[in-house]
Amino acid sequence: MTTTIFGLALLFYVAVGVYVARKVRGSEDFYVMSESASTLLIVGTLAATYLSAVTLLGVAGLAYSEGPLVLAATGSFGAWVGTLLAVVYVGRRMKALGCRTLPDFFKRRFESPLVTVTATIIMIVGLLGYGVIQLIGAGLVVGELTNIPFPVIIVLFVLALLVFSALGGMYGVVVTDTLMFFSMLGVAVIVAPWLIGDVGFESIRNIAATDPGYWTLAGTADRPLSFTISQFLVWVIFLSCTPALVSRVFPAKNDFVVLKSAAYGVFLASFLQLPVFIAASGMRVIEPGIEPADRVMIVAFLEHVPPFMGGIGLAALMAAIMSTASTLFVLAGFGLSRDLYENLRRTPVSERHRMFASRVGQLLIGGIVTAVAIAQPSAIYWISIYAGAVFGVGWLPTVVAGLEWRRMNRHAAFASMTAGVGSFVLLSELTRNGVLTLPGLLDPLMVSLVAGIGSLVLVARLTRPSPEEAAYFGHIEASRPSRKTIAEALDGAEPLSALRREYRHIVATVVGLLVLSFVVWGFFAVNLAF
Amino acid sequence: MNYQVLLLFLNAFLSMLLGAVIILYILRREYLPVIRRLEAERDASAKDES
Repeated sequence: MTTTIFGLALLFYVAVGVYVARKVRGSEDFYVMSESASTLLIVGTLAATYLSAVTLLGVAGLAYSEGPLVLAATGSFGAWVGTLLAVVYVGRRMKALGCRTLPDFFKRRFESPLVTVTATIIMIVGLLGYGVIQLIGAGLVVGELTNIPFPVIIVLFVLALLVFSALGGMYGVVVTDTLMFFSMLGVAVIVAPWLIGDVGFESIRNIAATDPGYWTLAGTADRPLSFTISQFLVWVIFLSCTPALVSRVFPAKNDFVVLKSAAYGVFLASFLQLPVFIAASGMRVIEPGIEPADRVMIVAFLEHVPPFMGGIGLAALMAAIMSTASTLFVLAGFGLSRDLYENLRRTPVSERHRMFASRVGQLLIGGIVTAVAIAQPSAIYWISIYAGAVFGVGWLPTVVAGLEWRRMNRHAAFASMTAGVGSFVLLSELTRNGVLTLPGLLDPLMVSLVAGIGSLVLVARLTRPSPEEAAYFGHIEASRPSRKTIAEALDGAEPLSALRREYRHIVATVVGLLVLSFVVWGFFAVNLAF
Repeated sequence: MNYQVLLLFLNAFLSMLLGAVIILYILRREYLPVIRRLEAERDASAKDES
């Protein structure tokens, strides 16, 4: 059954990818869907990108073995807040500036090839490091389930991803992500609740009777409080600036779509995760001792739910792998074709040339990913340790200061990015090898963030922005994200009723989701906390 | 009552609450003044016509 589901899901997504690719008419479609995406598409791609295989495998496994509170109570909370900030602050502001990729912001704000190249290299290494290691992990799991050789799995995955990315660009990724999102939603509203209902809240709550630490923040492994607190900060810092989430905003039709997507996105971020973690706890009652614990949800899908639910679960696992990987790889391809090749050329490129370069960029990334995933050089594991965090320490101070501080300039940007990433790698290596022990609450990421901010402030105080940088900062201050949307409404036939309708719609959406959130989490709290 | 379990679900609600506060703040700050201005213009033109 697993091989059939694997094959059918792959074929379905490829067919959709081919169909969607026919709609791509030019580079605007390829990079940002000509800014035409509806709320459903933005919510779909945001949620599908957010929920990676890490949730269904790694974090679910941790919930099963150590307890759901260890990471979810604070680390996931940080991820939900980070996702919100990525959409309503960084993504919304950059969209208002007309950015097509995140390095576009660095290029326009600082007008320095050195800063643009540094930012783009950080992005490509970060995306590929994180994406390839996920693909390797997922390929090993799917290979074990289907008995298809690992290299064949990787080639099939990458070929399918290339259909979305090289043919359809952002258009292909957003539409396929949205379809994949529904299978993930199926796990949250059908499969996980079924498992929880089958076991019963009382049995899940009573795990603490045999494992006293299970329903505590420290978990059964008795982790220190510093781990719990640092996880919150790490995930806020990491996700608020990660291109995978920020770039989801760029294809949105207007600012109303962005605001609605932010509301649905922050609700779904927890709604897609917590039922899975509680279901993983339920699996500890049904079948204790699963090794490795990462396989807990796969065992659940294959052995402990009705076959059609198992199918939904496996399709969701495939979707979680492919949606995150497709976003990471399409953005890495954009980094090659637009941010490194096109933006650094002295002469402008034609539309035909631009499309050709975009697709070549995707093919190059596909080739690199396949080679690295199959060869699995030891360096990829080393890079993956740092890949997710480099956006937090490398980009976050520069992006926030670039948006908010008049004095911010190219020298400060370069100093901050190199100090942040350099100190993070150095500190992590020293602590990992036992040469250095950081006290209490400190995580290398937080120390490096302080180093990045400190060097940014110091260099910005010692240098001055160029006239071009000062002029662009004035442009940023004048570019309210709502301005274009209001102007479009004012150009319409009934501007007042159009604006009032959207305003009321968003207020109703936000209040409705708030009430739903209160009911859902209140229900779980009443059944598990009291 | 297990306060640590409560914290998990409270945080899930709080993230939604934070999102709601930010989005409603943006609406009131950036869109409501435009809607109020258009309403005032409509009322003024209705008064002129009567």
